[in-house]
Amino acid sequence: MAKGPRQLLLEHADERDLTKLSEYEAVGGYESLRKALDMEPGAIVEELLASNIRGRGGAGFPMGRKASFLPKPDQATKPIYLTVNADESEPGTFKDREIMFRVPHALIEGAVITCYAIGAETAFIYLRGEYYTEFEIMRAALEEAQKAGYVGAAVAGSGASVTIVIHRGAGAYICGEETALLESLEGKRGQPRSKPPFPAISGVYASPTLINNVETVATVPDIIELGGAEYAKLGVENSAGTRVFSLSGNVVRGGNYELELGTPLRSLIYDIGGGIPDGRELKAVIPGGSSVPVLAANEVDAPLDFDSMANLGTFLGSGAVIVIDDRACMVQLGLRVAQFYMHESCGKCTPCREGTRWMVQILKKLEEGRAEQGELDLLLNVCDRILGNCLCPLGDAAAMPVASYVAKFRDEYQRHIEEGGCPFGAESSLAGVMAPVDQHHAHMRSQIEVPVHEFA
Amino acid sequence: MSTPELVTVTVDDREIRIPKGTGLIETALACGVEIPVFCYEPRLGAPVGACRMCLCEVEGMPKLQAACTMTAQDALVLRTAQTSEKAAEGQRAILEFILLNHPLDCPDCDKGGECPLQDLTFRWGPGNTRMHFPKRTFDKPIPISPVISLDRERCILCYRCTRFSEGVAEDMQLVARNRGAQSIIATFEDEPYRAHFSGNVTELCPVGALLPATYRFRARPWEIDNVPTVCGLCPVGCNVWATTREGKVARILSRNHPEVDDGWLCDKGRFTFDHLRADDRIKQPLKRVRRRGFDPVAWEEAAEEAARGLGEAEGSVVVAFSGGETNEQAGALARLARQGLGSNAAIVPDDLDPAVDGFRAPLAAIRDAEVCVVLGDEPVVDRAPVVDLWLRAARRAGADVITIHPAGSIGVSPGSAAHVARSLAEPGTAPPEFRELADQLRDTQRVALVWSGDDHDRGRRAAALAAALGLGEGSGLYVLPRTPNGRGVSSAWRAAGEGRGEEPPEDGEIGALIVSGDEAGYDPRVARLSERARFVLTTAMFMGDHTLWSHLVLPGTSYLERDGTVVNLEGRAQRQRRAVDPPFPDELEFFAEVGERLGLPVSPRPDEPSPALQAELPPRSRPGALSEPAPPPSPNGTGPGLELVTYRSLFSGPGVERVEPLAFQRPRAELELSFADADDRGISTGDAVLVVGADGVGRELTARVNRRLRAGVVRVADEHADGFARHVEVGKV
Amino acid sequence: MPESDLYREIQRVADRYPVRRSAIMPALHLAQGKHGWLSPDALREVADALDLSPAYCQAVASFYDMYHLEPVGRHTVEVCTNISCALVGAQQVLEAFEEELGVHAGETTEDGEITLRTIECLGGCGWGTVVAVDHRYREPVKPEDVPGILEELRGG
Ligand SMILES: Cc1cc2nc3c(=O)[nH]c(=O)nc-3n(C[C@H](O)[C@H](O)[C@H](O)COP(=O)(O)O)c2cc1C
Ligand code: SF4
Ligand code: FES
Repeated sequence: MAKGPRQLLLEHADERDLTKLSEYEAVGGYESLRKALDMEPGAIVEELLASNIRGRGGAGFPMGRKASFLPKPDQATKPIYLTVNADESEPGTFKDREIMFRVPHALIEGAVITCYAIGAETAFIYLRGEYYTEFEIMRAALEEAQKAGYVGAAVAGSGASVTIVIHRGAGAYICGEETALLESLEGKRGQPRSKPPFPAISGVYASPTLINNVETVATVPDIIELGGAEYAKLGVENSAGTRVFSLSGNVVRGGNYELELGTPLRSLIYDIGGGIPDGRELKAVIPGGSSVPVLAANEVDAPLDFDSMANLGTFLGSGAVIVIDDRACMVQLGLRVAQFYMHESCGKCTPCREGTRWMVQILKKLEEGRAEQGELDLLLNVCDRILGNCLCPLGDAAAMPVASYVAKFRDEYQRHIEEGGCPFGAESSLAGVMAPVDQHHAHMRSQIEVPVHEFA
Repeated sequence: MSTPELVTVTVDDREIRIPKGTGLIETALACGVEIPVFCYEPRLGAPVGACRMCLCEVEGMPKLQAACTMTAQDALVLRTAQTSEKAAEGQRAILEFILLNHPLDCPDCDKGGECPLQDLTFRWGPGNTRMHFPKRTFDKPIPISPVISLDRERCILCYRCTRFSEGVAEDMQLVARNRGAQSIIATFEDEPYRAHFSGNVTELCPVGALLPATYRFRARPWEIDNVPTVCGLCPVGCNVWATTREGKVARILSRNHPEVDDGWLCDKGRFTFDHLRADDRIKQPLKRVRRRGFDPVAWEEAAEEAARGLGEAEGSVVVAFSGGETNEQAGALARLARQGLGSNAAIVPDDLDPAVDGFRAPLAAIRDAEVCVVLGDEPVVDRAPVVDLWLRAARRAGADVITIHPAGSIGVSPGSAAHVARSLAEPGTAPPEFRELADQLRDTQRVALVWSGDDHDRGRRAAALAAALGLGEGSGLYVLPRTPNGRGVSSAWRAAGEGRGEEPPEDGEIGALIVSGDEAGYDPRVARLSERARFVLTTAMFMGDHTLWSHLVLPGTSYLERDGTVVNLEGRAQRQRRAVDPPFPDELEFFAEVGERLGLPVSPRPDEPSPALQAELPPRSRPGALSEPAPPPSPNGTGPGLELVTYRSLFSGPGVERVEPLAFQRPRAELELSFADADDRGISTGDAVLVVGADGVGRELTARVNRRLRAGVVRVADEHADGFARHVEVGKV
Repeated sequence: MPESDLYREIQRVADRYPVRRSAIMPALHLAQGKHGWLSPDALREVADALDLSPAYCQAVASFYDMYHLEPVGRHTVEVCTNISCALVGAQQVLEAFEEELGVHAGETTEDGEITLRTIECLGGCGWGTVVAVDHRYREPVKPEDVPGILEELRGG
C-alpha cells in the first residue's frame, strides 16, 4: 500500500486556529491528558513502547526505551526532569517551528502527559532563541493552559503537578545536541558533555532527565488517543507513525508536510512539492537535514523511513528534505555546509574544532580552483580523521556530508582542480554565498586578534 | 569503608585485577601502558573528554573511546595505540589536529624540555605537516596579569586552566571566550587575573601557553635544580619544589602532597622568592652607633656584642618569636634564653593548647566531611589559603559548608566566634539557628571545624567545642594559626623549659629583647617592649621601623635558605630543605656562636629528621583534661556608626611586599559595605567614600558593595584601616 | 546603591529555576534588551545579580550568536544564507540589502540605525529567502522586496 499524507499532529490545523485553547479543545484537545491521568504512569510508558515511536530530533532512538532508562519515580533520589528539545537549528529543518506555531497545545499536552508518565514535576522547553514569534505563541498557550488547569499544581484535577518553563536559547546550533542543551540550560556555555553518564541517569542538575524533540513529545497525545499498538500500525516496519517533513530548496511548493513514514521521496518532491521549478533538472537530494550524506537524483524512489535511508548510506535525520537542482556547484555546497559546521563547532574537542576549520580552508582553495590533486585526497582524509573521533556527533555532521559530495560528485571536484576554477562560473545557484564565518573574519577582527596590554 | 570490588581488565593483552571504577588511564598505567592525555587531570573534577588524545579501542564498541572518561569494569578489554592500529591512527589524527595551529616554536618556548606536547610529538608525532594554510595568529605573549603571560598561539584549548578557575579555585576569572575555532582563553575585558590561586594555571597548562612571567627566559631545563622543600609562608605548609639556577631561586612549583595541598599553591607561595634579592636586604651585621645610625660590623664583633648585651641582661631577657622560624632555630633560641640566660619570658605567636591535637585530622579530610563549619572573622583564604580550596572541594562534593562571620552564611557581628562556639557547645539557651546547627553537628558523622580568628583562646575554646560535639574519627578540628610555624615554635619554646614560661613583664626595664625575624618586629607589643629594653638584638631580612630601635641587627634568612623542620596547622612536622645558600651565616650558626661565648651549648645543626617525620601526620593525642577556656571577650558593644572588621591580606608581610610583580595582588584601598548600608547612603561600588573613625581620623576609600556582608558592618584590609577604631562613620564623598 | 529594575527582573526570572545560574541566558537577554548590547557594564550588572563573575558572563555571552558584545544598530536585518535559502537566491537578497544600505554584512549603517548580518539557517527553509527584521521573520524575501522592507523599517 502506497504511503502518503496522513495528518495526526497537524490534523485540523488547516481549518482552525488551534493556538487558541477553545479551538484545540473543540477538536478533542487535552482529552488524551484526561485519559492518561486515569492510567498508571507505567502503563503510559508501556503505550509509548508499544507505539514504536522513534525520536524525531535526528537520532531516531525509540522514545519508550529512553523513558524506561529513567529510574522509577519511587526509586529516584533526585527530582526527574523532562526537557523538550525545541532548539531546531539543523539546516533545512523547520517542522518544530510549524508545530509550535500552529499546534502549541499539542506540545504542552504531550509534555504534561510525559511528565506524568515519568514522574517529573518540571518540564523545560529549550526553545531556539531566534524563534521569537513562536516563543510568544508558546507563552500565550502556556498561560491559557495554566489558567485552564492543564498545567500547574493538580493537573486537570488530578494529584499530578507539572510546571513548564520555557527557556530561550541564544543562537547556537550545538545546543540542539542533548548534553550541550543541558549545559546551556544550567547556565553554562553550550558544550556537550561526554557520555556516559547518559541524561536518563544524570542530566540537568545531575538529575535523571528525559530529552525529546518537540515533534516526538507533541505526538504523545496522538499515541495515547490511538493506543500504542494502533499507532504502531502506521508507517512501516521499524518506522512507525507519521512525520512532519520539511521540504525546501529547488522545489515548487516548499513547506512542511505530515506524511506516513515510508512515503516515497519522489512522491514528496514531485506529487506534493510540485517538482523542480524553472524547468531545471533534479541533481541531488539531502534527505534528513544538512548533516546527512546526499542522495543522487537516481536514488529518489526510496521510501522515507529509517531503514531505507540507512540502506542508501544516509539518514532520515530531522526529516528535512533539501532539493538541489542542476545549477548548484557541489564544491560550493560542500564549502557552505563545512562553513556552517565550523561556525557552529563548540570548540571543546580537538578534531571538530580544528578539523572543520581545516576542511573549510581546503574547500575554499578547491572552490577557487587553486587546489592540487593531493588536496582532494587530503580533504577526504581529514573527513576520515574527524569521523568517529569527536566528543559529539557535530564533527561527523560536517565530515559525512562533505565526504558524500566528493564520493557522488567526484568529477565536479576534479574539474575544479583541472580547470583551475569553478566550471559553473558565476552561474552556480550558490555562487558567492557568504557565511557568517566570513563576516567574522572580515569585520570582527578584534575578536580574533587580541591587542597587547601592559599592566604597568 | 568497605573494600572495593576487584574487576578484571585487559589492557593490550595484559590482565589486571583492579578496583572497579578506577580510571582507565590509571588502569593502563598499572599495566605499564601509558596513554597520552592533555585535558585529563583528575584534580580538576570529572573528566571532560575534550582533547581526544587518549582515544583507544574498547572491545564491543564500534567507535574509539576517550579512555580518560571511562572506568574499569569487569571483563573490559582495552586496546591502546600500542596494539590497535585503529587506536594508533586515531591518536595520529588527534596529534595532527592539535599541532595544526600550534606554532611549533619549541626552541624559544620556556616550556621546552618540560612540555608534554613536545614529548608526545617527539614520540608519536608526524615528521612533517600537511597543513599549508595560515595558522591562527594572535598578539603574543600577552600578560594576563603581572605574574602570568598567555601565548594564545600555543594554546591547545584543553580547558585545564579555565576548569581550574571555575571548578577548583572558583574565582571564575579565567574563561574561554567565543566558540569553535575562534575560542580563546581570556579574562574579563583583559583585566588582570587577580585571585589567590592564579599561578596554578601555569603548572596545569600542558603546553607553553600559560607561563609564569617571572620565569620568562630565566632558565632552561638542563640548567636547573629542583629542590624539594616546604613552603614557609603560611601554616598550611604546602610541599614545593624550589627551582634554582646558579644559586638563585627562579621559580616555585607544587610538589603534590595529597593530604596537605593536593598539588595546589597560592600565589604568595608561588611567587614570593625574589625578595631574597631585594635591594634593602640586610646582608651583614649592623651595630647602632648613633641615635639613628648603623655601621656594618664584622661577624666576630657582632657575636661579641650580642654576648655582651645578653650577658649583661642578668636574666631579664624577652624573646619575641615570629612564628616563621624552623623548630631548630626556635629551639636553639629557646634553650639559649631559658637554659642559658635564665629567662622564661617570651612572645610566642601561636601557642596552641595540646588539646587541639586530640581532634587532629589531615587537611584532606575536610573534603570528605559532610558538614564544615568555619568560625571567625579572618578570611580563611588569607590566613591559610589552601584550606579554602579544601572547603570548596567539600562543598562541591556535597558537604554543607557553614561560615559564621560578618559575611558568612550565618552573618554575625565581628568578634562573635567565641560566643558562637559557646552557643554551639551549650545550645540550651542559644538562639534557634545555633541550636539547630548544634543538633545537626551532633548527628553528623564527619564534621570539619575550622577556626579562622584570634579569639580561640589558644585553641582551648575550639577544642572544648569539638569535645562537646563529640567529634570522632573522620572529623577534624583545624585551628588556623596566624604564623607559618607558630605551632612548632611554641612547642620548641615549651620543650626548652618549664612549660609555657611567662608573659613579658608589664612594665619596668628589660635587660635584653631578642626580636627573632621581621614578623616579630611588626608586632606592636614588641615595639612597646623595645622602648623598655637596654639591649635589643634583632634578626631581620629587611630594614624597617623595628630595626631602627635595635642595638644590633643580624641579617635574617628566608625559609628557602634554611634546613630544618616546621609544623603546620594540622600538627604535621615537615622538612624544609635549603634551596639556596644564604649569603652569610644563618641565625642558627650565629646563635651557636653567641652561645659558645656565653658558655652555653646550642647545637648549630638540626639532626637529620627521620623520613617518617616529613610526611605523616602524628596520631591524635589522648585528650587530657581540658582546662576551662577563658570567658569570651566582651562583645564590641554598640557605638555610633558602623562596626569595623579588619583582616590581614595574604599578600601583606615583609617578604611578599617586596615582590614587585605581586603588587597588584595587594589589598585595594577599599571599604566593603553591606547592601543595606550602601543603599541607605546612596553608595555604589566604585564610589569614593569618606571613612571617619571615632577619633576623628578620616580617610578616603573606594566603596565595594558586598551583598554577603551583614548590615551594620564594614570591612577593610588591615593596611588601609590604620587609625580606625571599632566603629566608623561612612559617607559618600 | 539603589537596586536597579534589571536586578529585580533577573531575580524574578531566577526564581523559575531550581539553580539560579540557569537564569544567565534570560538575564543576558534582558540586559541586552535594556542596553541594546552587552557592554562591559551590562555584563557586570548581570554578574552582580546572579552572583557570578563578569568574566563568566562574558564567556557565556560570547558563545551564543544572538548576544551582541559590540554595539549594534537600533534595528537588525539578518539574512539567512544557509543552503536552502542559498539555493533559491539568498545571496542576491543579501546583495540587495548591501546595496540599499551601503554597508557590508556585519556592518552598521553610518547613522547607527541598521545593522546588516548574515545568519545561519533561521528555520524557514521552505519559504526562502528568510530575513529576520528585528527578530521578526519575513519569508519569502526576493531582492525586489528589499527597498520596501527598509522603507518600512526607517519609517517605523
Ligand atoms: C549537533 C547536533 C544537533 C542537534 N540538534 C537537534 C535539534 O535542533 N533538535 C532536536 O530535537 N534534536 C537535535 N539533536 C538530537 C538530540 O541530541 C537528541 O538526540 C534529541 O533531541 C532527542 O530527541 P528525540 O529522541 O525525540 O529525537 C541534535 C544532535 C546533534 C548531535
Ligand atoms: S591555555 Fe593551556 S591550559 Fe588553557 S586551554 Fe590553552 S592549552 Fe589548555
Ligand atoms: S585526555 Fe582523554 S580526551 Fe583529553
